[in-house]
Amino acid sequence: MIKLDNVTKIYKGEMVALRDASVEIEKGEFVFLVGASGSGKSTFLRLLNREERPEQGHIFVAGKDIAELPGYKVPYLRRNIGSVFQDFKLLPTKTVSENVAFALEAIGRPRAHIREAVPQILELVGLAQKADNMPDELSGGEQQRVSIARAFVNRPLILLADEPTGNLDPATSVGIMKLLDRINRTGTTVVMATHDRGIVDSMRRRVIELDHGRIVRDQARGVYE
Amino acid sequence: MAIRLDYIAKETGSNLARNFTLTFASILTVAVSLALVAASYLIGQGINNSFLGLRSDVQLFVYMNPAATQEQIDAVARELDDSPGVETVDFYDKERSYEEFQRLFEEQPDLVSTITPEDLPQSFRIKPSSSDADVVTALGDTLEAKEGVLRVEYAAEFARQVQRSVRTLNTWVLIVGAVLIGASVLLIFNTIRTAVFARRREIEVMRLVGASNSFIRLPFVAEGLFHGLLGALLAAFAAWGFDALWKRNFVNQVAFELLNQIRWDPSQLWSAIGIIFAVGALTGAIGSGVAVSRFLRV
Repeated sequence: MIKLDNVTKIYKGEMVALRDASVEIEKGEFVFLVGASGSGKSTFLRLLNREERPEQGHIFVAGKDIAELPGYKVPYLRRNIGSVFQDFKLLPTKTVSENVAFALEAIGRPRAHIREAVPQILELVGLAQKADNMPDELSGGEQQRVSIARAFVNRPLILLADEPTGNLDPATSVGIMKLLDRINRTGTTVVMATHDRGIVDSMRRRVIELDHGRIVRDQARGVYE
Repeated sequence: MAIRLDYIAKETGSNLARNFTLTFASILTVAVSLALVAASYLIGQGINNSFLGLRSDVQLFVYMNPAATQEQIDAVARELDDSPGVETVDFYDKERSYEEFQRLFEEQPDLVSTITPEDLPQSFRIKPSSSDADVVTALGDTLEAKEGVLRVEYAAEFARQVQRSVRTLNTWVLIVGAVLIGASVLLIFNTIRTAVFARRREIEVMRLVGASNSFIRLPFVAEGLFHGLLGALLAAFAAWGFDALWKRNFVNQVAFELLNQIRWDPSQLWSAIGIIFAVGALTGAIGSGVAVSRFLRV
C-alpha cells in the first residue's frame, strides 16, 4: 500500500528531515511513527499525501509513484488519504455535520450521497447527538472525533494521523485510539505519529522510530522505546 | 467533475458580504475608470465623425457685409484673382450659402425655417497657396481692410484648434481612465487576497480532502469577475447618461457651433458599452487570477 524507496527530504537546502528512508507498509496495517520532535515524523506523513516532495527517492502509494505525480492529479491522490491532526482543523463557522459534509462537497459528491453518508459516519464516531452543535461547543475529544469523521467519511484507503491525541487527556485519548483501531479493522491502513508512550505500549502494533531523519527501528508489535 | 454553480454562488456571495468595504471600493473604482474610458471613446468617435476633420485644410472665409455693393464684391474678387497668395477662390452667393446652411443644420428645422437666403452674408472661400500661418494672416489682414468686407475667418484653423484641444483633453481622460483601471486591478487583487486569507482554513481543509484546483480557485476568480462586471454595469449606465447629457447640452445647442459637431451614433454607444464589459471582465479576471495564483497554493 505504501512504499518508501531511499527517500531523502531536505528543507531549505540544509535541514535534512528524512535521510535515505526505505520502508514498506502493507494494506490494513496500523503503524506508529515515534521519535523526538524534529525527528522527521511529520515530514514522513506530509510526503505521503504530497504536501511535500522528496529530494531523492520514490514514494509509492497504491502502486503509483507519487513523487512523480503531476500537480493536477494530487487532489485525486488525497481523496484516498484521510488526514487527522493534533489541532483538529475544524471550521469554526460550520456545525459538526456541516464540517463533515464539507469534505464531500469539496470533492463534488452528489447531495443525496452526502445526506446519507454524514449521519452514518457521525453515528460511527458516536456524535449523532451533536450533529448540529458548533465545534466550540464540543470537548477536545469530541472535536477530534469530528475531525476523524471528516477524514474517514470518504472511506479512504489510508488514514494519516499526526499526534491526534497530543491535545487530549489520557482517558479521552483511549477513546480516540479505540475509534482509530475500529477504522483500521475495516481494512484502512493507519499511520500515526505520536509521542504517547502509554498508547504505543498498550496497543502493541508495528513501531517505526525516527531519529534525525533516519529510520532507526522498525519493530512489529513494538513498544515506544 | 461537475462543479456546482450554487456552491460557487454561495461562496462568492459570502465573500462579498464579508468584505463589503473593499468590495465596494473596487467595484466603484472599476465603474469610474470604465466610465472615463467610455466617455473618451465616444468623444474620440465623435471627433472622427464630425466634419471638422474634413475641413482640416487651411481655409479663409471672407464674409461680405450684407449691404456691400456689387462693385465692392467685384473689387474683392479682382484683388483675390491677382493675389499670388491665393490658390483657389470659391464665391458663395446668398442662394449657395443658404443651401449650405440648410445642409449643415438639417437636424434643426426650427432654426432653418427662421432664416431666409437674404439673412445670410455672401462669402469667398479661399484656399491660400501656402498654409504658413504668417502668410495666411497677412492675406487675411489685407482682405479685412477692403471696402464691404464684414470679417475674415480662419475657420478651418479655428476648427482645428478646437479639435486639437478636445483631442488633448480626451487623451488625458483616457490616460486617467487607464491609470484607474490599473488601480482597479490592484484593488481587486487586494480584495481577493484578503478573501483568500479570510478563508485559509477552508482552503486548507479543501486541499487535504482532495478538492480539485479549479474547485478551490473558481469562487475567488468568480468574485473578481463579479467586481469587474458589476463595475462595468455601473459604468454602462454612466455612459448611457453621458450620451444623453452630451446630446442635450451640446449636440442640440446652436450655441456650441463646434462642440455640437462632435456626435456619435447609437451603434457607437453600444460598442462603448461592449468595451466597458469586456475591459471590466478582463480587469476582474486579471486581478483575481493573479491574486489566486500568488496566494492560493493548491
